Amino acid sequence: MSKVIQWIHDDLLRVTSDIPAIYVFDEEKLRSESWSLKRIGFIYECLLELPVIIQKGDPVAEVAQFAHNHGANTIRIARTPDPRLQSQAHQLARQFTIDLWAPEPFVNLSNPVDLRRFSRYWQKASRALGLDTRDRT
Amino acid sequence: MAASNQLRRDFQDRDEMRQHLMEQFPDAAEVDSRLSPIPGGRGAAESRLNQFRALQYAGSRNFLDGEVSGLSPYTRYSVLTIAEVQEFVAGKFGLYRVYKFVQELAWRDYWQRLYFQLGEGIWQDREKNKTGIDASCYSAAMPDDIVHGQTGLACMDAFTNGLTANGYLHNHARMWFAAYVIHWRRVRWQAGARWFLQHLVDGDPASNNLSWQWVASTFSSKPYFFNRENLERYTNGKYCEQCPRRNACPFNAGYETLAAELFSPARSCGSKYEPSHTHE
Ligand SMILES: Cc1cc2nc3c(=O)[nH]c(=O)nc-3n(C[C@H](O)[C@H](O)[C@H](O)COP(=O)(O)OP(=O)(O)OC[C@H]3O[C@@H](n4cnc5c(N)ncnc54)[C@H](O)[C@@H]3O)c2cc1C
Repeated sequence: MSKVIQWIHDDLLRVTSDIPAIYVFDEEKLRSESWSLKRIGFIYECLLELPVIIQKGDPVAEVAQFAHNHGANTIRIARTPDPRLQSQAHQLARQFTIDLWAPEPFVNLSNPVDLRRFSRYWQKASRALGLDTRDRT
Repeated sequence: MAASNQLRRDFQDRDEMRQHLMEQFPDAAEVDSRLSPIPGGRGAAESRLNQFRALQYAGSRNFLDGEVSGLSPYTRYSVLTIAEVQEFVAGKFGLYRVYKFVQELAWRDYWQRLYFQLGEGIWQDREKNKTGIDASCYSAAMPDDIVHGQTGLACMDAFTNGLTANGYLHNHARMWFAAYVIHWRRVRWQAGARWFLQHLVDGDPASNNLSWQWVASTFSSKPYFFNRENLERYTNGKYCEQCPRRNACPFNAGYETLAAELFSPARSCGSKYEPSHTHE
């Protein structure tokens, strides 16, 4: 039977169920991007409402350690466009099974979506949202 | 199983939390050790959402004191997703009556989709700029007077102070500020974008960088800029009245005059705005 933990990151500060959860402040990133305390404080207050262990350091090492401590072989991670988080997830994938998930999307669009300009995207998206620009009332 | 890197969760109040964070993140405290007045958490997000008067949004959103949701710090981290916001607002007011608001939510979705495609590429010019000025003419660092809120321009200095104190700026202020940095001071958009991300509690690499590129014209068909009349109107004149440089305002001209000054095609790097240069 597979045991699961979840890694909470900046693109989704939520827990999905009562499986053990961890958040890691990526110290190297915060330092290299010179974050002010405001940003950390805001995230921290979000985390305080969640049943989650809060750590700092190297996310890959800390998440792996957390998973080992719980005897878990699967890590649940929310899908993210952030290249740094993606690469950290890839590193974890060498040791663990990754269960990638995403919350309900803003709008479901069939591929390919033309993203060259917002107007092209909006043409498709507004229709999919039920907002047909031609018969606005 | 408590590891040494584990951070505390038991605080009497916000100040105690801040003390803990200052000890744990001394580098960040050195950048700026204040907390934002905007509270984190799902509870705070929901009360914001409940208070939001979405029907006033379309008509007033461009004014600094207009009705905007203030939800960006929460949507940034999906504490509340834009799908949830859309559903709630459409349910409460009717989808067509909140058309403009839903369209603004869609901007976030659009930038996020691009981020999946571009990755680190969001830090590079998407297109060649349309300012007529060579990319090499823009300086790489943010000028000190801007970062310290000492340009002498009441509007810009207030935006700097608002950003660093609150971690938030109104959308229109972000646009004016970015235009000032890029076009008047001729600074690379990346320098401004990086500085914004140090402070914004809604700091999002995609929404932020691609908006900066939109102002710069590396991701739009023309540069965004503004003039005093426009800023004065949407701020109800509150900065200009008090401005020490109200009679020496670099924004005080018609659009054509400003465009000719700002985007004069490259003889070497052309002339650029100097803080001593004025429009009477
Ligand atoms: C130079 C510049 C930098 C910016 N940096 C960021 C940033 O780092 N993070 C960020 O979330 N937004 C950024 N924006 C977009 C916009 O300014 C903010 O999302 C908005 O001001 C947040 O206030 P609000 O929640 O009251 O917005 P509202 O007007 O109430 O909009 C509702 C929601 O829609 C989304 N939204 C609205 N406008 C935009 C937009 N133009 N782009 C993307 N999403 C939008 C946000 O999720 C916002 O919470 C930037 C804009 C500019 C011009």
